[in-house]
Amino acid sequence: MFKDLDPILHSQLRLAIMSLLIGVKEADFSYLKEKTGATAGNLSVQVQKLKEAGYIEVVKQFKDNYPQTLCKITDTGISRFEQYVADLKAYLGQ
Amino acid sequence: MNDQLTPLQSIELIQSMISKTRSSLKANSFYFLFWGWLAFSALLVQFVLKTILDYPRHYLVWLVTIPAVFITIWYARKRHNPSARTYIGESMGQLWMGIGISFFVLSIIISAGPSGWLYAYPFFILFYGLGTFISGRLLQFKPMIIGGIFNWVLAAICPMLPYDYQILLAALALLTSYIIPGHLLNREN
Repeated sequence: MFKDLDPILHSQLRLAIMSLLIGVKEADFSYLKEKTGATAGNLSVQVQKLKEAGYIEVVKQFKDNYPQTLCKITDTGISRFEQYVADLKAYLGQ
Repeated sequence: MNDQLTPLQSIELIQSMISKTRSSLKANSFYFLFWGWLAFSALLVQFVLKTILDYPRHYLVWLVTIPAVFITIWYARKRHNPSARTYIGESMGQLWMGIGISFFVLSIIISAGPSGWLYAYPFFILFYGLGTFISGRLLQFKPMIIGGIFNWVLAAICPMLPYDYQILLAALALLTSYIIPGHLLNREN
């Protein structure tokens, strides 16, 4: 039905991740987990898909001896997100 | 996860997630309250030492800002997990770091001349006004915007008063720029 909508973004958890990342400079994995309420496993899979599509950058590093995964939206991600919102508006007849 | 989102559900999801990223106003209130009450108390102590007790080194009370800087840095590093760096949070951090450095430079300027300290408070109040006004704009929090503007008025009035009363005026400036907006901020969210 909504076949023109970007399939990478038209998925509940991936859209939630992208909506969070569009509002911040960067966020760590636990922040995304807390805000989306998703399980670590599912979140990890979706983050990987967004990364493979080039929509987000993922940096793994150590902070105070603990591993930390930082996610940041890319320029491609921002333009795809904007296009997705524009498509949604078109569907809603705005 | 249900992938059969309707466009309306998508819009709602986007809105709810974006609203979660808004800088928690409450998170910022610690800094305003901590520095507000600290400097407010220091000013009252300075006023008592100078005006009532006639103690010549009344300005030594300001040494309290040295440990306070370390407490602020410690607090800012402590609350970082789980974390996201927001543009507003970063802007606030840079703004107040800049103002903190300006206070430090101002202290050097006023201690360089023989009577520089006589003109110190209007400039300190001017910086309170600037920092509070911009913070209020960034957080879209009206009491801070009003507090900032009010402090600019106080800064303009300050040089017309005798020095001892400038100390009290600075305390009033802190009450209106840090303390009252800080408590109101704490009640938000």
